Amino acid sequence: MNAAACYFVRAMADENTEIAHGLRRRDPELLDRLIEEYQHRLLRYLMYLTGRRDLAEDFFQETWVRVLERGSQYDGRHEFSTWLFTIARNLVIDHLRRKRPASFDSLADPDGLAPFDIAATAQPSAFDTTVQREQNEQISAGMQHIAAEYRETLVLRFQEGMSLEEIANVTGAPLGTVKSRIYRGLSALQPWLKGARL
Amino acid sequence: MNPDLMNSDVHERARLMIALFGEERPGPEELSNAERSWLAAHLESCASCREFAENSRETIRLLRAIPITAGERLVSTTQMRVRQRAQELQRQQERFWVVCVCCAAVTLSTLVTTPVLWRGFAWMGEQARLSPPVWEGGFVVFYLMPAVLAGILLLARGTFLTDHNGSYQD
Ligand SMILES: [Zn+2]
Repeated sequence: MNAAACYFVRAMADENTEIAHGLRRRDPELLDRLIEEYQHRLLRYLMYLTGRRDLAEDFFQETWVRVLERGSQYDGRHEFSTWLFTIARNLVIDHLRRKRPASFDSLADPDGLAPFDIAATAQPSAFDTTVQREQNEQISAGMQHIAAEYRETLVLRFQEGMSLEEIANVTGAPLGTVKSRIYRGLSALQPWLKGARL
Repeated sequence: MNPDLMNSDVHERARLMIALFGEERPGPEELSNAERSWLAAHLESCASCREFAENSRETIRLLRAIPITAGERLVSTTQMRVRQRAQELQRQQERFWVVCVCCAAVTLSTLVTTPVLWRGFAWMGEQARLSPPVWEGGFVVFYLMPAVLAGILLLARGTFLTDHNGSYQD
């Protein structure tokens, strides 16, 4: 590892340790900062997981309350985002388990989650061109049609930039399954890309 | 060579590599030099995998471009909720410490007063010419009375603990 990479890794580790100490103290300033820092990433993940903005916003708040309550369980040895996303995911899974206890395989069952409705929730900026918007809608439509477990893995990999191991930690799936989900998810989205290019 | 990539057929292997490691990612997840040259050679000769690689890049780019943002209201509501919960937890913790201190004080005073009380009962029993089992029974009743009364009062309040822990999440 070169010096710059070493420095980067050490800085990240220091930051995680600092977060762990702050969470143990239930430091309100730190929590405010974390909520702001992770607002878009967490909401995006929850929206892809639940398929609905209102539900995602409820889980967003619940997740941070849970972070406060369970803060002492974060050891600072792993990335904070991995721990945060695991908490969010467990909350969603618990909710689904309560909702449909008989047929719990929610993330493997596309019907287990609400229809994915990203187009209605996206907030295009003033700079968005029509083409970009259409492409986004196409790929969003594709996301709506692929299995929830592929959707989740693609978001974690390509939007959150997580490593394969981090994704395995968050989803609780074996590494091989994570790899196969990325490959299959990406392949399943490609037909929608053709629509986006028209 | 990555063992996951060994058993698939060549196109599948190339596409798995593209999907997993197609981007330039720093760290241990990079392809080895041998894998990289193998993939480059394969892409050179295989139009279908080349198309898959281009499509993958474009799909990933579009995935990243989907705009989802949290509103200011959501952030401020969440921050407020978290602060309220933190205050609740703080109060719970303070109550817990008060209970702990009370328990310690009661234990200490019991240790100090029990021998004195015992001697007092023995003296009164002697003065009243009572047999030892009688004044000893009196001592036990007197000794346990506060705890029994407190228990009855708590039971009468019924939902004491559920009231106070009602907001406790699992
Ligand atoms: Zn090929």
